[in-house]
Amino acid sequence: MNLDALRSLGVLAGVALVCSILVSVSTTTLRPIQERNEALQRYRNVVSLTGLVDAEADDDTIFEVVAQLDARVVDLGTGEFAADIDPASVDARLAVNDPDSSTAIPAAEDIARLGRRANHEVVYLVWQDQDLSRIIFPIEGQGMWSTIYGFLALESDLNTIAAVSFYEQAETAGLGDQIEDAEWQAQWQGRKMYDDEGNVQFRVSGGIVSPSSATAAYEVDGLTGATITGNGVTNLVHYWFSPHGYGAFLSKISGEPPKR
Amino acid sequence: MTIRSTLFGPVFEDNPVLLQVLGVCSALAITNSLYTSLIMGVSLTAVCTFSNGVISALRHIIPSSLRIIIQMTVIATGVVVVDQVLQAFAPDAARTLSVFIGLIVTNCIVLGRAEAFAAKNSVGMSLLDGIGNGLGYTAVLVAVGTIRELFGAGTLLGVTIWPTATDGGLFVPNQLMLLPPSAFFIIGFFIWGLRAWKREQMEAPEYNEVKVRPEQQPDLVGKNAS
Repeated sequence: MNLDALRSLGVLAGVALVCSILVSVSTTTLRPIQERNEALQRYRNVVSLTGLVDAEADDDTIFEVVAQLDARVVDLGTGEFAADIDPASVDARLAVNDPDSSTAIPAAEDIARLGRRANHEVVYLVWQDQDLSRIIFPIEGQGMWSTIYGFLALESDLNTIAAVSFYEQAETAGLGDQIEDAEWQAQWQGRKMYDDEGNVQFRVSGGIVSPSSATAAYEVDGLTGATITGNGVTNLVHYWFSPHGYGAFLSKISGEPPKR
Repeated sequence: MTIRSTLFGPVFEDNPVLLQVLGVCSALAITNSLYTSLIMGVSLTAVCTFSNGVISALRHIIPSSLRIIIQMTVIATGVVVVDQVLQAFAPDAARTLSVFIGLIVTNCIVLGRAEAFAAKNSVGMSLLDGIGNGLGYTAVLVAVGTIRELFGAGTLLGVTIWPTATDGGLFVPNQLMLLPPSAFFIIGFFIWGLRAWKREQMEAPEYNEVKVRPEQQPDLVGKNAS
């Protein structure tokens, strides 16, 4: 090996060493701040549905409310609380890729086009003193281009929608992405999920909801130019509140309300 | 070569996007709002300045056969550091820009300046060249971002400038402005305008239309065949 080749290798090794040190230092020193950001982003969506603080609350308030949140793991198959599982260890998005912790959705029921759903989901119970005031459910499903992720909060009657938020989607810019619009989401408040027979009736309308129509209590306005995204949202709500979604859990807790 | 021409030349005289038509991919993708355009511009300026400085400092010891590998290593390092800093201190922007920060590695402007300028010039001038080219890129992004956000949403940096019709105002947003192809047209108009203003930037035609009289034709065919 001649001297030139040795020198070249030396320069390469030196550059590689210095660069890897720079990369390692930047990732390790910034990691705690990044994790805090990620947690904040995740919690902000849940906290905004509790009705306790508004979505623009400062970081410390968010963490305070999160500390009081009552996160429970629900076994979707039986509808029971799985008290032996730590909510922090449940990641429904990862679980979908693991055959042991997820279930294939029968094609006839898979209106949200998910393919599989996790066996366990984390729901959040919101307490006002000793009374249950809201339950926050994670929901997801296919829109036009992307999987839409969100949360939906039901009042303690387990029928009235208290709030909704969609926090991750890649629908058409300016059209489908209006599902993140706060004013549109505000329309969901007070709408009913189930009719008297217990079927999911809620839907995103094809246009403006007429207040006099018989189904007005179950509908929110459609989004102009986003019919397919709107249908996707309707379908994912229908799936998650059907017996294969949270249905078993909801009928369980309407029989025996959870205790604080 | 003066400090002034190195720093400000790339903004109007030799703009990386408008004259050299480099870095157009990211200029189309992330300019739908002014904020992301600014963050992207600052990120690229930081990476370009860093890589130019390092490459220039090492220019006498980098073996010429390995220079592209070393340039890519240095650029990639700069990009990772910028990406990490953004994720820590501007998480919203990092989420919106997602892969496009990582793709600065493949941005022709950065590698182009390292190869064409930093490998041959002093550290000071290379740093200025990095800042200058970053400024040239940022200027285009900010201009495109301003137009797209204003006409696409009626806002600038998220602040409402023209209340939209859905919010009770008069302005009807142009949805096309929120989609990447609109940046194509806007950058096209910029290039047209700049070349109309500075005619020396016009490219020589790639071929000249030859007007031939019938009797010259055999001659021409003979030339082409040779």
